[in-house]
Amino acid sequence: MLCEQCKKREATVRYVEVVNGVTTEHNLCGVCASQLDIGSFSAVLEKEISLASLLSGLLGIQDTEKKDGRFADVVCPNCGTTYETFVESSRFGCRDCYSVFGPLFGDNIRHLQGSERHVGKRPDYVIREAVEPAEEPLMPKLSVEEQIRLLQARIKDAIRREDYEEAAMLRDEIRSLKEENES
Amino acid sequence: MTKWYEVPESVDSSVIYSKVRLVRNWAEYPFPGKMTKEQSLELTARILGGAQDLNDKNHNKYLYSYLHQMSDLEKAVLIERKVLNLDVLKKKDAGGLILSEDERVSITINGEDHVRIQVLEKGLKLDECYKAADLMDDYIGKSIQYAFDEKYGYLTAFPTNMGTGLRASVIVHLPMLSRKKNFNGLVADMGRFGITVRGVYGEGSENYGSLYRVSNQKTLGQTEKDILDLVSKAATELALQEHRIRREALKHHAIMCADEAYKSYGVLKYARRLSKNDAMEYLSKMLSGISTGILEVKEPCSVHELILGVQPANLLSQADRPLSKEEVDVVRADYLRDHIPEIR
Repeated sequence: MLCEQCKKREATVRYVEVVNGVTTEHNLCGVCASQLDIGSFSAVLEKEISLASLLSGLLGIQDTEKKDGRFADVVCPNCGTTYETFVESSRFGCRDCYSVFGPLFGDNIRHLQGSERHVGKRPDYVIREAVEPAEEPLMPKLSVEEQIRLLQARIKDAIRREDYEEAAMLRDEIRSLKEENES
Repeated sequence: MTKWYEVPESVDSSVIYSKVRLVRNWAEYPFPGKMTKEQSLELTARILGGAQDLNDKNHNKYLYSYLHQMSDLEKAVLIERKVLNLDVLKKKDAGGLILSEDERVSITINGEDHVRIQVLEKGLKLDECYKAADLMDDYIGKSIQYAFDEKYGYLTAFPTNMGTGLRASVIVHLPMLSRKKNFNGLVADMGRFGITVRGVYGEGSENYGSLYRVSNQKTLGQTEKDILDLVSKAATELALQEHRIRREALKHHAIMCADEAYKSYGVLKYARRLSKNDAMEYLSKMLSGISTGILEVKEPCSVHELILGVQPANLLSQADRPLSKEEVDVVRADYLRDHIPEIR
């Protein structure tokens, strides 16, 4: 329904007026409602949601953790950003903050970025060879069947999340695994 | 020298311009916000001073300035022209700006991050923009050591920029497509592919001028090329859809389309007072008219230049005295009468 005042925006505030037993109803948008000054409710809707608070949520840093103080003492030794300010602003204070707060949000960076590892450009002075191997040896070698089973589970998960792009990528991975196996 | 936005739009296209932005930080200093006043000034002065030989390299003159010494109006003008971000208005610490004479290339120092490289180009030219930004990045990266991490890539103040630090955007003009009932659903669906579509001059039905910015959501785990390709494809797809609907409208409602274009042209050419939103709407309709061939301009012109021209800070900066809101509307109509292209 459109706002009856401006007839442009969607009506989000319903205002019911009872004067001497006569009830009249108005449907207004947040902007018009706040101009009419009918109670503080519209002000609540008009207030912008801060991106920072959404980000903290996405990074898996919840209020409960803040309250029980598990991470409350974490402070970046380099720039002095505390855990609390990091949660409030979702903003890193310096390069070291990444290693200080990084482990706290762990896998949740995936929810925000869809990935947790950089693959793009790197500055010249970072030596490529020194980095690549690290993680592979830790993973036990899986048989092709096991790998496919794992990928299928990930497809299900991707579909549940409605991330069809990832699902398609995983499907292709399975296909190429099967082809490799047959050849 | 011709500014980038003075280049005419190509007829028959809904793509207005492309923009590439890279953010980087200097490993030596804390990020902006955590630096002391002295550190902010020192970092700004060191980068501004260190990049002086930019003049000789690109045959383009570069202008160097301290942001904290600029007036709010000067900053507002540059914000309207997309050189600066809105956040520089609030910033009190030292900051700097290196700007090429044609305003294509800009480097903002100590904004949300230490270094923000931006390249703008008319039309669908993300690859060209990135190439120029990449060169600039290499050039600065030679003199300062960037904050970089194997896992998180280039480290940025906000987690939404980490990794490549790259935001690729294409600005498209979608007056017809955005009127479609399911447009909002379409925009939401693009999110699944990691694409954000937002109104350039406002949200929803209040995006006067119907310009939309198509850009990548994610910056980590994708190569720069992947990001550029994704955004290019999405923008092309939207532009094609817009084109299709325009053709259909032209076929079935030819008189209505022509009427809308000519009426808008008439108002822009003869009005004596125009609000910003009205001016944007009429310019948008004139732009559609030119792009579908209803309005034949005598010489190629840049409607986007007019869109930037009618913005309040630009009009205020051209005036010789402070103006009231009503006076700005009058000055805006004067500006349009002077600059509107002649048609056949």
